Amino acid sequence: MQISPQMQKPASRSGVRRMLAGLAFVAVLLCGEGLVAADAPVASEAQVKAVFLYNFTKYVDWPTEAFARTNSPLLIGVLGDGTISEELKKVIVDKTVNGRKIMIQETGKEEDWPKCQIIFISSAEKARLPAILAKIKTLPILTVGEAGGFLEQGGIINFTKKDDRIRLEIGLEAARLAKVQISSQLLSVADTVKGKSN
Amino acid sequence: MFKRPQLGEWILRGVVAVALMLATVAEAADTNQVPKPSADLENLTLEQLVNVQVTSVSKKETDLFASPAAIAVITQDDIQRNGFTSIPDALRMVPGIDVAQVNGSEWAVSSRGFNNQFADKLLVLVDGRSVYTPGFSGVVWELQDMVMEDLDRIEVIRGPGAALWGDNAVNGVINIITKSAKDTQGGLVSTSFGSDEQSITSLRYGGQLSTNLFYRLYLKYESEDGFANSAGNRMPDGWDALQGGARFDWEPNPNDRFTLQGDYLAAYIGGTAQVPLLAAPYMTNISMVNAKSDGNVVGRWTHDFSPSSQLTLQMYYDHAVKPDVQIPSTLDVYDFDLQHRFALGERQDIIWGAGLRDSENDSPPSFNLTFYPQRSYTQIYSVFAQDDATVVPERFHVILGTKLDHNTYTGFEIQPSGRLLWTPSEKQTVWMAVSRAVSTPSQVYEASRYNQSAFPAGGVPGLVSLFGNPNFKSEQLLAYEAGYRFEPARSWSFDLTAYYNVYHGLQAYQMGAPYFEPTPVPHLVFPETAENLVSGETYGAEISAQWKPLDYWRVAASYSWLHMRLGPINPTSASAGDSPQNQFQIRSYLDLCHNVDFSSAVSYVESLPNQNVASYVRLDLGLNWRVNQSWDIGVFGQNLLQNSHVEFGSYRTPQLTEIPRSVYAKITYKF
Repeated sequence: MQISPQMQKPASRSGVRRMLAGLAFVAVLLCGEGLVAADAPVASEAQVKAVFLYNFTKYVDWPTEAFARTNSPLLIGVLGDGTISEELKKVIVDKTVNGRKIMIQETGKEEDWPKCQIIFISSAEKARLPAILAKIKTLPILTVGEAGGFLEQGGIINFTKKDDRIRLEIGLEAARLAKVQISSQLLSVADTVKGKSN
Repeated sequence: MFKRPQLGEWILRGVVAVALMLATVAEAADTNQVPKPSADLENLTLEQLVNVQVTSVSKKETDLFASPAAIAVITQDDIQRNGFTSIPDALRMVPGIDVAQVNGSEWAVSSRGFNNQFADKLLVLVDGRSVYTPGFSGVVWELQDMVMEDLDRIEVIRGPGAALWGDNAVNGVINIITKSAKDTQGGLVSTSFGSDEQSITSLRYGGQLSTNLFYRLYLKYESEDGFANSAGNRMPDGWDALQGGARFDWEPNPNDRFTLQGDYLAAYIGGTAQVPLLAAPYMTNISMVNAKSDGNVVGRWTHDFSPSSQLTLQMYYDHAVKPDVQIPSTLDVYDFDLQHRFALGERQDIIWGAGLRDSENDSPPSFNLTFYPQRSYTQIYSVFAQDDATVVPERFHVILGTKLDHNTYTGFEIQPSGRLLWTPSEKQTVWMAVSRAVSTPSQVYEASRYNQSAFPAGGVPGLVSLFGNPNFKSEQLLAYEAGYRFEPARSWSFDLTAYYNVYHGLQAYQMGAPYFEPTPVPHLVFPETAENLVSGETYGAEISAQWKPLDYWRVAASYSWLHMRLGPINPTSASAGDSPQNQFQIRSYLDLCHNVDFSSAVSYVESLPNQNVASYVRLDLGLNWRVNQSWDIGVFGQNLLQNSHVEFGSYRTPQLTEIPRSVYAKITYKF
């Protein structure tokens, strides 16, 4: 009868200790060397999109007629997503851009929409999207969405997700129609830019 | 076999060497592409912002919290951190689910008791396609393989889900959902190798054919050696499998979504079986290598009539070829399902649907198994409806639903269910449910003869034969469940479920009077016939808690308790000793610096007296290092505390296979 090789092996504990020691060594190695940094922070989708919306205020120029006065606040409207609205409120506290305060505009009433400089249309409003864009796409408003086909329907910036990361697609035709200028820095981080021309 | 422990060490040394090499390469590379760690999201540059990893469970977490059922979700993040290489492996995480590995290729998985390789009270779906085998009941887990990185999540519902999900969702539903093609763009190559010559290589490529048409193609090769039995002999239960598939997702307009997907898997699976003979030595061991395969095509269309009205149509075809000494089968399934969800007024959310499934099973007769007829055609027609009524907005819901179906063997079956959902605050959920569910008989219990064992019976051979019974009815369950969820703060939450299940007509074999059979050789038959003999109750509770003491450290613990009281005593089928009475686990997920995460899990599974399996404690560890946007390295160890242990017996042979300690490394490259 074959002697079980397991009986000849020393107690299993030392094997586990070696494995743990090995893992600890690898972990210290990876952390101690201050390596590859690569600390991609982790956050929720709503948080990242809210921070992007805030960043758009810095990297987009609006025509002068978009604002009532030189010191009017920059207004962002959010349609259909309470979570992003909440996150956005936290991000814009005490922030200014070009001397203007940033504020959230309530979008319950359609007549308030033209007051905004940025309007975010969530995927929950997908069914109404063509109707919404039809009303605002000639106004000086940066339209931002998160649904497939957003650019095709006249939106300017669309959030997509690649590999668990939020990416951007930008439509320059729609930007031209709305008379907003998107800075080259923002264009350079977008995955897709449509309607490029010189 | 001194190979095993040494291989583990070599793997570690290899990984350290590779890690050092990659580290030097990465430091020399352009560090501009890779953002430095930063506490505040708002202060990140645009380049860094596009690299922030988002946790996509947030919306589903709110849905889960207010769900009137015992539901748990295994996310892609859980799969990556723990290094799960198969679905049953991942299911171990969920309280109330019994997962036992039988041998190198076979598993026994069930929910709330009755564990068996033929667990017939659990419905398992992959992207809407049922992978339950109607011929013998149960899921052939070795044929359910997928690229684990492409899984979006696994939803596990314990308790009857019959009203919505369908037949055999008696004690639970496992819904395996893969990512859409849009979420798996680009290429991925992943290879893992470990002890027991376990090796898995997956290749996946996702691309875009036009603005709204995305696709994904994949190829996966997996191979594993057999494990050893209690005497230390390596069993021939190893396997080799090659699988490939594609998925297309098309969204021509915001109101329509089409999906077409298909897979083909071909595997060589080894095993031993002990089969009867009508002459000495009466039982003999056969080693077999079966070429099993499964091909399927699934098509789905979802149409939004309005934000509050959605229609889904799904069709699939599945062809599974499973040659086998004991239970051969070639199975063709054609399935059509329709589901419409709409809001009625301000307060009611209605789902209704209809479905048809046609199954054609061909089991060629052999000395071991004969099906009557050899080729069977069975159909199930079903309709269902559910109304979720808001009695007090944001506070109290009443959900009533029922499924009515007609199947070939037992005719009409009705499975009603009623639930109450009370959310006294945003931090608490209380729910209660009463449901009836049935388990439709499989052909083996209706019309078959299975020659199980032979022995000398005083001069002539004696043969124990298990017979199906055309009068065999569905097994019935009346389940009473209740649950409570509490999330006092973002950093900790608690989920408690309790249930009391009353069963009628559970299957057991009834011994009959022996009789003489002249062919092929004169012998005495000791018949046992499938009858709805067993009744009784099971009750239990599942508790799970999550605690996040620090931003980078999460702890999850769960405990399940199950008590079974069934009679009459000693039924040969429904046995209380097949599932553990107590199971406990605690898992820790730690984010170390620089994209390194470390996870550990300790689990205790109590003994299975009916299977001669002792209780055991498992220790599993995992270390993941995200080197950069393209490279990932992981090292994992399972069953680290013991050389090996037994988890479950096999219906094929009395020999118990030991599940060994295993160590493996995984390298992933994305492009």
